[in-house]
This record gives sequence, C-alpha cells and structure tokens, in this order.
Amino acid sequence: MPVSTTNKVKKARRAVIVAGNRTPFVRSFGDLVEMDTIALGVAAVKGLLERTDLPRTAIDSMVWGGVILPSTAPNLAREIALDLDLPASAEGMTVTRACASGLQAVTLAVAAIERGEADVIIAGGSDSTSNATIGLPEKFVQKVGPLAMGKGGSARDWLGVLAQLHPINDIVPKAPKVAERSTGEVMGESAEKMAARNDISRELQDKFAVMSHHRAAKAIEDGVFDDEITPITTPSGKTIYSDSIVRGDSNEAKLAKLRPVFAKDGTLTAGNSSALTDGAAAVLIMSEEKAKELGYTPLAAFKSWSFVGVDPSDQLLMGPALSMPQALERAGMKLEDIDFVDMHEAFAAQVLSILKMLGSDAFAKERLGRDEAVGDVDWDKLNLYGGSLALGHPFGATGARMVTTVAHELHRRGKGSTALLGICAAGGLGAGAVMEAV
Amino acid sequence: MSDFLLDLSSNKRARATIQRLGLPIPMPESLRRGRGALVERPLHDAKVLVAGPVSGELHGVIAGTVARAGAEFGAIESAQEVAAYAEAGEAYGRPVKALPLEPTAKGRYRALVFDASTLDTAEELRALYDVVHFWIRSLDKSGRLVILGRPVSEATDVRQAGARGALEGFVRSCAKELGRKGSNATLIRVAKGAEDRVEPLLRFLLSPESAYISGQPFDLTATVKAPSAPIPRTRVLDGKAILLTGAARGIGKATAKRLAAEGAKLLLLDRPADGELLAEVANGLDGAEIVLADVTDPEAPTLIAEAARKHFGGLDGVVHNAGVTRDKTIGKMKPALWDMTLDINLAAINRINETLLDGVLRDESRIVLLSSIAGIGGNVGQTNYAASKSGVIGVTQALAPLLAKRGIAVNAIAPGFIETRLTAAIPVATREVARRLANLSQGGLPVDIAEMAVFLLSPGAFGLTGSVHRVCGGNLMGA
Repeated sequence: MPVSTTNKVKKARRAVIVAGNRTPFVRSFGDLVEMDTIALGVAAVKGLLERTDLPRTAIDSMVWGGVILPSTAPNLAREIALDLDLPASAEGMTVTRACASGLQAVTLAVAAIERGEADVIIAGGSDSTSNATIGLPEKFVQKVGPLAMGKGGSARDWLGVLAQLHPINDIVPKAPKVAERSTGEVMGESAEKMAARNDISRELQDKFAVMSHHRAAKAIEDGVFDDEITPITTPSGKTIYSDSIVRGDSNEAKLAKLRPVFAKDGTLTAGNSSALTDGAAAVLIMSEEKAKELGYTPLAAFKSWSFVGVDPSDQLLMGPALSMPQALERAGMKLEDIDFVDMHEAFAAQVLSILKMLGSDAFAKERLGRDEAVGDVDWDKLNLYGGSLALGHPFGATGARMVTTVAHELHRRGKGSTALLGICAAGGLGAGAVMEAV
Repeated sequence: MSDFLLDLSSNKRARATIQRLGLPIPMPESLRRGRGALVERPLHDAKVLVAGPVSGELHGVIAGTVARAGAEFGAIESAQEVAAYAEAGEAYGRPVKALPLEPTAKGRYRALVFDASTLDTAEELRALYDVVHFWIRSLDKSGRLVILGRPVSEATDVRQAGARGALEGFVRSCAKELGRKGSNATLIRVAKGAEDRVEPLLRFLLSPESAYISGQPFDLTATVKAPSAPIPRTRVLDGKAILLTGAARGIGKATAKRLAAEGAKLLLLDRPADGELLAEVANGLDGAEIVLADVTDPEAPTLIAEAARKHFGGLDGVVHNAGVTRDKTIGKMKPALWDMTLDINLAAINRINETLLDGVLRDESRIVLLSSIAGIGGNVGQTNYAASKSGVIGVTQALAPLLAKRGIAVNAIAPGFIETRLTAAIPVATREVARRLANLSQGGLPVDIAEMAVFLLSPGAFGLTGSVHRVCGGNLMGA
C-alpha cells in the first residue's frame, strides 16, 4: 500500500528545540535499580532545568513517554512535575507508543506549540525495567482478590480457594518478557526472522554493533555528550557520570564468541541486540518567539514526522522502512538531501534489514508506490555517535535521547543541515522524523 | 451424518493397520480448511514452488500474488531467471530459493504454480511434464497444483489450440492422483486483457478456503466492468448488503455465517415454517435482517425488494440457495412433485431476479446461483431436480452478458456431495458410493460451498462471469 502523503500541516508558528538533558543510561538491575521511572525522570528534568536556568513559571506543560507505566501512578509527566515542585499550572500528560514513546512525546509537544496551545513544554521519556511491576498470575488475582480485597471470607473460604490453585503456576509471578501480546513472539525472535528473511549475516550484525560501540566511546571521550548528560546520584549515595553499557574495546572477534540467544542456529546475540536499560531523557521545546524572548539559542526544529503501523506477525520491526520515507516526503526532501541519519538500534539485524529495504527498488515500487528506491544510507552518515546497541535502550527515553543528540549535531553543522530519524517499536509500529538546524 | 471412513482415517493407528494389512479401504485425508474468516496472508511462511518457461506472460501476477499471500518462493530452473520473483521476494522479505529440476532434498511445499501461458505446441508441453514429474511428490497434504494458461478460443493457430487444450486433461488427471493426499489441482485460463484479474482467484485457489475444489478449470475474462474501489483481501464483503435465500439450515446457514464474518449485512430469507430456525441464525449475526416468505409466493419478490430497500437501501449481492429435492422416477412422479421442484429451484429465481434487477441490485453487484452436479450429470429419480439445476446454468449463462456493463458478475456453484440434511436422506449405500466416487474420497462440508459463495460475491471475482463452478471434491458425477 503506498504511504500516505497527506497531512501537510499549516503551521501558525515554529517550535524549536532549545536544549536536552538525560541521565546516564545503565543496564537494568544495575546501579540505578533503586530509582523508579519517576525518579529517573525527575533527575533528567532537574538536570535540564539547572542546565538551562529555566524560570519555572515559564513551563506550560510536560509531555512524557514511557512503556512500563506504574499502575498506581501512570501519568509520569504529572508525577515528575509534582516531585520537582513545579507550579501546579504546569499540566502534564503521558503517552505510550512502545520504543517510540520519547519521540511521540516530543512531537506532541511540538504540535501543541505550533497550534498555539503552549509556549514552553518539557517533553521526554523514561523507563526503569528494573522496577517493572511484576504481576501476580491472573488466576490468583481472580480467586484470591475478592477474599483479600473485597468482602473477605472465613477460613473455610480461604482454604477452598487455595485448594483450587496450583502451588507454583498459579502463585509464583512470571518474569516479564519483551514479547508481542498479539503473537506471543519474543521481540528477539521476530528480529531473528527478519535477519533470515532479509539475508543479514551474523558477521554484518557484529560489525555494525562494534561500530556503534566505538562511536559511542569516542563521543564520550570527545565530550560530545557533555551538554547532554548530567550525573545522577542514587538514594544509597552512588553517583553515575556516564553511560555504562558502552564497550570502547569491543571488536568483532569478541562478539563472534557470543552464543545466539533467540534461536538455536540464530544470528542474534547479546552483543548485537540492545540491552534492557534504565534511564530518562528530557527535551526543552519552545515557540521561536518565546525562545528569543527568554534569551535561548534554538538548536533545531522539526520539518516533519511520521508514525506508521505494520503487521506484527510479518516483519514486526520494519516500520521505519515506511515511516522514514513518509517523513522525507512530508518534508519535501529526498534521502540524498539529508546530511545524517539517526536510527534506533533495537537489534543490528533490524537496522540492517531496514537499510536493505530503503535501498531496494523492488521494495519502493511494491510497498511505497515509488518509482525507485529511497536510497542507500552510507554508514559514515549513520548513528554518528553510536546508538542504542552501545548506549542502551530505556524504552521511553530513547526517542528523546536521539532528538537531543541530533539537535546538538545540527546546531554544530549550522543552518541548512538536516537529519532523518527512524525508530521501530513493539506492536508493529514505526516512527520517522526530519529535523533541521535553526 | 459423520463420515465414518474420514473419522477412521484420522485415527493414526487404524490407518496404519489398514495400510499394513493392505485392505482396499479408501483412507480419505482430513482437509486443511479456512479458519472462518479470510486472513491477510493465507500462505504465511508456507513454501510455494513456482515454475514455467522464462517467456511466460503470467509470472508477474503469480509473483505478486504469492508474495502478498505471505509465502516463500522456491523457483524451479528457468523460473529463476524471471526477475519478477526476485523483485517480489525482495519487496516482501522472501528471498527466492533456487531449485534444480530434480529435487535434491525432501521438501514439503504447500503449492506448485506453473505459468503455462506460452506453451504453444505439443512439444513444448514437455516443460510441464518435466517440472510436475519431479515435484508432485513434494507437495504437502492439502496442497495445491495450479496451472495458468490461456483460452483455447483465443489460439492463433491449431497447434497452439492443441497445447492450450491439453492443459485441462492434464489438470483433471493430476487432480485424480493428488486426491488421496487431500490435495487439489486446478487450471486458470486467462483471457488476453484479464491478467489484472488473476490475483484474487489465484489467491483463493491457493488458500485453505478452496479445499473442496478439485480438477476444475476457471475461465478468467475481462467481460465484467472492473470495480471502482481497490480490491480488499480481508473482510471482502465489508458493508455489502446481500440477500441469501434458504438461510435457515445446511449450506444456507453456513453461508450466512461466512458472509457475516466477511462484513456483509445480510437479508436472510426462508419459509415461515422455518421462522424460528432462521431467527436463530440471524441472531448470531451482526446487522442481519429477516424476510419470512416462500420463494414461490407471488408476493415474495416484492416483499424482498421492499425489505432490501428499507434496511439497506438496495442490494450488493444475491445468493439463490433455497432449493428442494422431490425424487421419483419420472414415470411415477406426481405432477405436484414436478411443479414444486421447478417452481422453487428455477422459476422463483427468475421472478426474484427480475424484480431485484429493477432498481434494487446496485452496480458492481454479484449474483450467485446454486446448481448441482446432479444438474450437470443427471440422476435416477431426479428428472425434476436435474432439470431445475441445469436450468439454473442456463440462467447464469444468459444473464451474465446482460449485466457485465454494470459491473455485475453472475455465477453458479455446482456443489458435489455435501454433508447436509438433504444428503442424509439418501439411502446409505447410494450415499456411500456418492461420497467415495470423488478425487478427495469424501463428502464436502456446507462451509466449502460457503467459501465459494464468499469468493464469487467479493469484488475480486470480477474475472468470472456466466460460468458454473463445481465445488465437488472432484466427483465423477457429470464430470
């Protein structure tokens, strides 16, 4: 089906990215285990406020993205604002679009500002897989719940219920998996299938993963992220200064030793798949006039964005192969006009599969309704400072992290430069965006 | 009315014992059928063999159809040179596997599709023999062999006509050989200019929904005016208002269920005596309305037209399913039995059609009539039934060209032996023979007819009109 070319929004005014800030990203169940997603969000936003010296009364609203939302307090944006003692008028909403939640939060903020609904919005995302609520088995809740939470019962009632429960299956919580609810397939299995269908070799995946690590390590060394990260201190007093998953000394020989994790003779390993991560990222967005008024230098703006859906049972992670071309089309641009590309690296196999699709004439003709391929993305222009494979992937934060890094790079390159973003997401979703320097 | 041998055959131990003892008892294969609604990729992850000379004109549509159905390609010899398969494979993440003419490994393939559109001489038919000879054993149970060719009537010379004609006999014989595995063989004859009408039919013939169609040729023409909207692959009857007569039981009931599952808004008709049964059927379906009338009632056409206008503003399809048998050898048949059968099964259809075609049936509608293999082949004691059912074929053939310009397709389904109340009434010996004298060695189910009705009512059936389509499991009667 051809990609829609509708939605050429008439903008009243432009929204600009003014700054971004995130916590260091750390492997789940590691150093940040004591901090839940709200605490991480608080840290990222606090750092953003301090970095930018933003007058608190200027904040109109917060939009936050997250995947694992605490069931007792799912509106993270509001909780973060309240924890930070922001004015009560800084209203908040939380959005969930799997791994694209962070980007979704940012684009919602941009759209609201463009419509004149707000002047200053903090948008971002966070996730703490460490603190995911682990649910009790359904049967347990349904049998025991009424007794424990409802009218209560006699000893006989309790014995009667417990007798119906299997001692292990019905009582012990099951470990959560990153699996599709509709297909039951673990995401890594879906990526493994994509690797086979798109003919992506283990060697190429490892090569790509190594590149991600090297570039991220170099970026940290060169201080590229100095304007983007603030250190975080845990309740027990430990301070983390930088992303801890990155392995600057990684090489293909080391990765080759790892065993496949999703299929017996598979190609995906822990080395070429992104890790479960805890972290948060926030972006400060304002209308152009407000930024001028408050004395901020805008870094970048959005030319376009796109969100698409694909069938989760058929190449779950191919969304960006549709959303990236759609974002380009909406921005009136071609891939060759773009200066650099930033893609979320859920799995090296997924990124490489999408690159193949973007470079295929057959794919473009059949699936995009175009005459020729979108284009070949040069690795030299892709994920310049590493990606999720090296930095980690706190689900809700990744989109905001990418926007921040891209905005800073666009600002460094100067007016006229543009970037293309692509994020795949669970549920068979894809996101894309074109950003430009301001 | 369950099929004893089918049950026996699905019992692994019984089957093994019978085979070991070499008993001459047919062991029909349990057929893989659809899941009750059409899906986006009926061949998801299935392996499909594609073959045919490089010159074949239909490789492109085959490639697109198979890829969109979710299958993996195995291209045999010369088909490997056809760019269409590589392109379709690349577009859908199904890299084409190159296969030699002689298989080197044991494989289980869901289907073998051969583009025979450019086999022009008896000598060139050898290419067909080569591929099928080597690969027919690699077909999985409930597998498909589909051959695509061109019509004999369009042949430019006698030799070409001969080669084109040969395909039918070949397919019919393959169907007889494949029947014991529950597999089918079919032929699509694509008229020049009808290539863009191949996909929906090919997809249907490769899907589990066509389980009970065996050894049949289909003539695809560009006669019917093409639909204006893109052709859907799932929920193919979304929003379509369809009249279904005889909906209270059997084939009608199964058809009502399937049509509703594809999104149709149904106008269900049956005799007042079956009112309760009909209500039960309608209650289980979304948006279904009822008309209680005898189809032979002179008021019936008007009642139907009024109900259709009132509930749906018009109709997008009709299934003339209501029918009776009143068996007696003609010498002993009383006039009432003759009159009733002809009236219900034939005359009523014409009266209803005439009324509906006068402002109720919309453009791009579909008319489906139920014929029967008895109508084609005749049967002792069924002069009345066979007359009416072969009369239905006449109606189909005459009506089709009159409505083609309006985009309306008219087709008939000729069910074979279907396990219903009607056939349960047949004496047991005759019934058993009727069941077994078919390629698939078993009776069909009402849902098999329903699936054919779904297809013929769908926008994708715009390549078929004026034809009778047997859904008979390759039954010998009238073949």
